[in-house]
Amino acid sequence: MPKTSLRIACASLGGLALAACGGSSSDGSLSDAVTAQTSAAATLVVACTGCHSGESGAIASLDLYDADLLRETMARYKSEVDGTTVMHRIARGYTDEEIDLISAELTKP
Amino acid sequence: MSPALPRRNLLKLGLVGAGAALLPMPAMARTQARIVIVGGGFGGATAARRVKALLPSAQVTLIEANPVFTACPFSNLVIGGQRALAEQEFSYSALIESGIKLVTAQARDIDPIARTIDCGPDLSVEYDKLILSPGIDLRWSALEGYNESAADVMPHAWKAGSQTTLLRQRLETLRDGETVLMSVPTAPYRCPPGPYERASLIAHHLKTRKPRSKLIVLDSKDQFSKQALFQEAWAEHYPDHLEWRGARDDGTVSRVDASSDTLETDFERFQSPAINIIPPQKAAFIADRAGVTDATGWCPIDPLTFASTLQPDIHVIGDATIAAPMPKSAFSANLQGKVCAMAVARTLSGLETFPTVLANTCYSYTTPDEAISIAGVYRNANGKLQSINGAGGVSPLAADKGIRQAEAAQAAHWFDTITAEAFG
Repeated sequence: MPKTSLRIACASLGGLALAACGGSSSDGSLSDAVTAQTSAAATLVVACTGCHSGESGAIASLDLYDADLLRETMARYKSEVDGTTVMHRIARGYTDEEIDLISAELTKP
Repeated sequence: MSPALPRRNLLKLGLVGAGAALLPMPAMARTQARIVIVGGGFGGATAARRVKALLPSAQVTLIEANPVFTACPFSNLVIGGQRALAEQEFSYSALIESGIKLVTAQARDIDPIARTIDCGPDLSVEYDKLILSPGIDLRWSALEGYNESAADVMPHAWKAGSQTTLLRQRLETLRDGETVLMSVPTAPYRCPPGPYERASLIAHHLKTRKPRSKLIVLDSKDQFSKQALFQEAWAEHYPDHLEWRGARDDGTVSRVDASSDTLETDFERFQSPAINIIPPQKAAFIADRAGVTDATGWCPIDPLTFASTLQPDIHVIGDATIAAPMPKSAFSANLQGKVCAMAVARTLSGLETFPTVLANTCYSYTTPDEAISIAGVYRNANGKLQSINGAGGVSPLAADKGIRQAEAAQAAHWFDTITAEAFG
């Protein structure tokens, strides 16, 4: 939906609807917020967070990485032909461009 | 939800107010859409939390029959005696705190035209978008003699809870020297490697506690998930305590009789006080009521959005779907819940959904401190889920014990993170 029509629709309903629209991001409409939170990068990383959203332990925490280190680590997993860990097997499924997007998204401050 | 709209937006809204009467109403309906999730497992709980995070002003309702969720992953460790059932239980309090309305009721019927869900004589819930995460039902009597009352004698333990406890009790009261029996169905069923993890942990129990006993697995198929790895582990750890018979070796159970504790294959009759029947399965009945199942008993979906291909405004996720090569696993359900929630939020915001990459990882214990894994990576473009060539696969054969122990530790960590993502 175009940004303007949503804003107008909110306005047309007065105070009650304003509250309902209050979930939108502070600098844009609801669809702006959804656009950002469901970007290509944001959509790719939901495959990662089921394992990598906790404290560090047997599965590494992403807190240990910046974007460059994560990109290098994923690229190494992808390129090591003899690697047998879960991450070797998973990294082989992603293009270099997808690894770039994932590395940036997962290490956003 | 932010407490107040920033001043500059209020000003913008004020300026456009004069033209408002000419505008179509659906935009309002979108922002306040009634999004209902039926089924609060790994798929449904995850989807509910994600859709509420993406659309804070939407009315998000979760309909779930049980006030507490009991997880199937890791429940084989309860059967094996390594874990308490309480460690499998998760409340919905984090979901309620995030603004999701929890309706503790059994969804009985769904009208996809009126877009209503019948939850009993006093409760009907309306939806604009419905996400069904109903899980499985057992096909009672598809295996002759195996009905609901037979399950009180010969537990399936394929839905975690009292059935898990019953199977554990059967193993505890077994006398040393008595045989344990397990019947395994043909695919598709929930958790493809689950029967073989269970067989491993039952065999471990027998080896350590009832050394003269053994488990016979009667399988209706000849090939199964992680087969070479499981069979390697069985040969190493349980040569005297686990015997697996595939369909070619008369493994298909054709009939059970709960009153005499017996199973029959084509050529043999077995008797045991500890019988585990994993019966044939289908999508839970509410999916039938919604009209989203096909002749297979499972739910066809568009893998881009997990929208039902059979009914509008209904999405289906988790074990109930036809999503192969993605398996019916908690990992898949959790990920499908997130992908589906994002697609619903985009649709309600007037945005198209685009293809992405999905994945799955399943760990299976072969002993209480060793595990093996399978992973898959999938694209959901062009209307189908397809495994990505060269990616995925299983743990290495003939690996050091250290590799198996590392995967067991990863499995335990995975359980903690995925349940935190689903239930808070």
